[in-house]
Amino acid sequence: MWWKILLFIWIAALSVIGIVTPIAGDLGSVAMFAQMDKAKTIPVKFTVVNKGRAATEEEGGGWLLLGRDAQGREADFHFSVRPADLDNAKGYLAVARYDKTEHRVEVEKILGGYPSFSFPLIPGLEERAKIIFFHVPMAWMTVIAFLVSMWYGIRYLRKKDMDDDFRSAISAGLGLLFCILGTTTGSLWAKFNWGSFWNWDPRETSIFVLLLVYGAYFALRSAIEIEEKKATLSAVYSIIAAATVPFFIFIMPRIMPGLHPGSADDSNAGPVMSSGGMDASMRVILYSMLVGYIVLYSWLMNIQMRIHRIKLKRAETVA
Amino acid sequence: MIRQAFAVFYKDLSSELRTRYAINALLMFVVVTLAVIMFSLVGETLSPGALTGMLWVVMFFAAMSGLSRSFVAEEERGTTMTLQLLATPMAVYLGKLIFNLVLVMALNLFIIALFLLTMDQFIVQQYGLFWLIMLLGSLGMASATTIIAAIIAKANTKGTLFPVLSFPVLLPLLMAGINATKIAVDDRAWTAVWPDLQLLGSYIVVITTVSFLLFDFVWKD
Repeated sequence: MWWKILLFIWIAALSVIGIVTPIAGDLGSVAMFAQMDKAKTIPVKFTVVNKGRAATEEEGGGWLLLGRDAQGREADFHFSVRPADLDNAKGYLAVARYDKTEHRVEVEKILGGYPSFSFPLIPGLEERAKIIFFHVPMAWMTVIAFLVSMWYGIRYLRKKDMDDDFRSAISAGLGLLFCILGTTTGSLWAKFNWGSFWNWDPRETSIFVLLLVYGAYFALRSAIEIEEKKATLSAVYSIIAAATVPFFIFIMPRIMPGLHPGSADDSNAGPVMSSGGMDASMRVILYSMLVGYIVLYSWLMNIQMRIHRIKLKRAETVA
Repeated sequence: MIRQAFAVFYKDLSSELRTRYAINALLMFVVVTLAVIMFSLVGETLSPGALTGMLWVVMFFAAMSGLSRSFVAEEERGTTMTLQLLATPMAVYLGKLIFNLVLVMALNLFIIALFLLTMDQFIVQQYGLFWLIMLLGSLGMASATTIIAAIIAKANTKGTLFPVLSFPVLLPLLMAGINATKIAVDDRAWTAVWPDLQLLGSYIVVITTVSFLLFDFVWKD
């Protein structure tokens, strides 16, 4: 019992941490955005080096102070009024932009104190980067569930144990569930980040193929009445599908140009996908979330299996 | 085994030639599909690339309506048991594969000939490459659909299930085939088509091997 509560807390806590943790850039990202779009403001975190001074009329009034970012670089930060809690503030998380003519960072709005834990700002993703904690584990579970389903299919063909066939079927069912969730979250996200719900990016093609395979698998199962025949043929089909599916999931998204990180023409999204590139804290949360999802999946498998056993037993007692 | 396989092939071929069930229906299917395409395209100018896509659509659906025939017919006539007694599973699979191969090649040849005759906008620049891709495409279609046909022959809703099960399995072949044909239709270099040809070749090898290994389970009751 205790581990179910723990699992619930684990996934809920990781979700909350993933969503609530602020995204904060450093002076490097401020300077980079200043190159692209002058008016664009981004969240920046910095510590206060000294209390600064009131700016003169020529400097535009307000308050000027020296701040230091997480990388140790320093710059002048300009506030329109002196921050009220300046005397005991360690630093700030603020929405800001870089003013090239004045050579200083213009603070538009203070969001809060210096956050001890934050995610780095990824240009082009910003807050939207947080989908990685939900969408990526779902997509992985889709593939894992498919492989587990195939594995039990192979076991059925070797041992002819009806339990293995049922495990194969429920794993495919859970895989279909994760597949639908992953496709929906990804599609909604794509609307906001890439401009349309579906772009036929190689990875979108791959999840679509998996969706079709799952659909075909269940269409086949429902079309055969004899249990043994159903088990054998659906196992054979999942193995045949598994011969072509790796091409879509593991090969095509890496050799073809696309929108997802890790594509062939991917030059800037390295921070998300390549093993050393992603921020360490984000990676820890992502992998912990994946562990949570795997445990959740095994638990759901176990529940379904127990329901199946009870049904079998009842059918026996009735007969 | 090879002799048995050819015996199965010869049996299928002669029974097909005697009834002409599949051939007549398929020829009419192709003619009707092409007619629909031509009606809908009167006065339109389409790029050869778009027409390549249509050619593959016709080839795919023609294969979907015809290639399940060899196994479904055995079930319908009730001759499955006899065949199980008389020939080894390998021989049956090989015989059916050869039959499907011949059928799909004849079918595709017919489709391409009609397509080239009726669509004046469909101009192929590199004929050698084009025929090579069509050959590989037919081989791949036949090898992938034979095992699927064996599976769906045991199911209740045979006709609708066949394209549903085949499409995810055939998709790598279709994608590579369409891409390669577009290059052959265009006047682009041979080197651009090489990855697609590799993909087509390895697809045929993988799917035929998997089918050989799994056919025993499908065929034996």
